Amino acid sequence: MANLKSIAACEQRKIDKLKKYQLPNTFKKIGIIIAVFSFVLLMINGFFIDNLIIREATKYTLLIGMLIISISKEKIEDERIAQLRMQSYTVAFIAGVILALFQPFANILVDFLLGASEPAMKDTGDFVTLWTLLSVQLFYFELLKYRNR
Amino acid sequence: MRNRLKIERAILDITQEELAKKIGVSRQTINSIEKNRYVPSTILALKIARVFNKSVDEIFELEEGD
Repeated sequence: MANLKSIAACEQRKIDKLKKYQLPNTFKKIGIIIAVFSFVLLMINGFFIDNLIIREATKYTLLIGMLIISISKEKIEDERIAQLRMQSYTVAFIAGVILALFQPFANILVDFLLGASEPAMKDTGDFVTLWTLLSVQLFYFELLKYRNR
Repeated sequence: MRNRLKIERAILDITQEELAKKIGVSRQTINSIEKNRYVPSTILALKIARVFNKSVDEIFELEEGD
């Protein structure tokens, strides 16, 4: 029994370490408001205003909003949620690396198909990579929660 | 890993929600354990066993291949 208790204490420390880097649950709503407001503003700017400063600023605030959602705790942040969260971060990391590796080749292919005179190998921008990481993590985490209700 | 969580809960006549509150997890976690979709940690298994006043291996049992 003493041995079981030391294993349990070790597991508890592991869970506590993960929780240390998270924000309280109330921040999730703040993150959603920031992300939605930024996305709407980004769309309005893209379709009607086309201002460079607004575009760059809203891209930043959109990523900040998504990051706040990503690191905010659930109402009940237990060990199952921590496991699902780790799964979602793993998938997002792999998706981000795959995107960064293959997007330049996809760009060349698109240029080629569109008949561009000199297809160029462009890097995936920071915004696209970070947006992909965060959106895959958030989407996959919600999907896992839904599937494991 | 098999478990007798649903049976033990029925004996004590408590809901998933009540059990979840007693051990500080969500109702969905209890549901996942009952449906064998989630294997709890040692600490959670000990907490569950304490609620039912039983030992861990009276509630959780290894299956062949575990």
